[in-house]
Amino acid sequence: MKGNKVLIVDDEKNIRMTISQALADMDVETHSAVNGEEALAMLKDADFGLVLLDLRMPGMDGMEVLARLREDRPDIRVIIITAHGTIDCAVDAMKLGAVDFIQKPFTPDEIRHLVSKVIARETLEAEKNADYDSCLELAKRCVAERHFKAAAEHARKAIARDASRPEAFNFLGALCDVQEEKLEAQKHYRAALSLDPTYKPAQFNLSRSIGTKPDTGHGILFGEKGE
Amino acid sequence: MARTKHSYVIVIGCGRLGSFLANTLSKTGHSVVVIDINPNAFSALAAEAFSGFTVEGDATELAVLKQAKMDKADVVIGATHDENVNIMAAQIARSRFRVHKVLVRIEDPNKESYCKAVGIDYICPTALTAEKMMTALNDIR
Repeated sequence: MKGNKVLIVDDEKNIRMTISQALADMDVETHSAVNGEEALAMLKDADFGLVLLDLRMPGMDGMEVLARLREDRPDIRVIIITAHGTIDCAVDAMKLGAVDFIQKPFTPDEIRHLVSKVIARETLEAEKNADYDSCLELAKRCVAERHFKAAAEHARKAIARDASRPEAFNFLGALCDVQEEKLEAQKHYRAALSLDPTYKPAQFNLSRSIGTKPDTGHGILFGEKGE
Repeated sequence: MARTKHSYVIVIGCGRLGSFLANTLSKTGHSVVVIDINPNAFSALAAEAFSGFTVEGDATELAVLKQAKMDKADVVIGATHDENVNIMAAQIARSRFRVHKVLVRIEDPNKESYCKAVGIDYICPTALTAEKMMTALNDIR
């Protein structure tokens, strides 16, 4: 990621203000755009490293911005802002390499934590002795670059480090989901749940995949530590 | 409130009291979520002052409280016109989500003892007004 310049794209002033305030204490420079058109214009002119993007906006929506961004500037990382109860397009967003989601409403800590994590992920190196969490973060970075095979490889490496944790199995399931390999995805979710029946991301993903639970703002959950 | 710089505050009810509190808290840098069953009520939130979130729904429903991320709340304020809703939401905040600070408005002074018993902080405008009136009457005598 080139710089610590962050662009907040949301039509709601409240959200733009909340995020700017939350990031004010961090070592990042925030700018705002009120719609997709303005965002693309700003992204052409300035060197942003991260975009926080609302999917639902009047005019050019977040998906279209994301698709254009992926064509012109695949190096820019994207965090998707979703509203509760909306999701269908989040799966498409993930196909376009957006792996980080935050659901409204969010606390300042949540947004700061996610932004720090996405920035830190860029400096991770694929070391031979990377630990479980680093392997998973590398896998997420590969998704952001749309290198799904490499992402799966890193997730498998994580499993090789510790086969008793559910996160990497859930991640592999999510990757299969994105690539529309539904049965394979369900197999991985079940593997995650056999290791930890209380692991919520896998519970949610499996329910959604087999159609017993309506979609919510999470889309596919890649899972975070402690979830 | 003074001890935490940016608290995550959930205000239940967006009437005169709820919207006033939400605007003030948001303006002073707190992260505020306002819940109201009527989406038109959110128009009372000032565009220049309020930078929080709104959640439309019934605050006695667990799903709505989860949607507002009550598990992350530092403070919950029950400010609807219905004290039963305020008390019920406050009890859920205390017992289920372990919220540190819970404050409600109640109209009926008879419910003060119940709030005390379940550990909910409350403000009773009726009792406060009565107290002030009694003081004023004493002055007349």
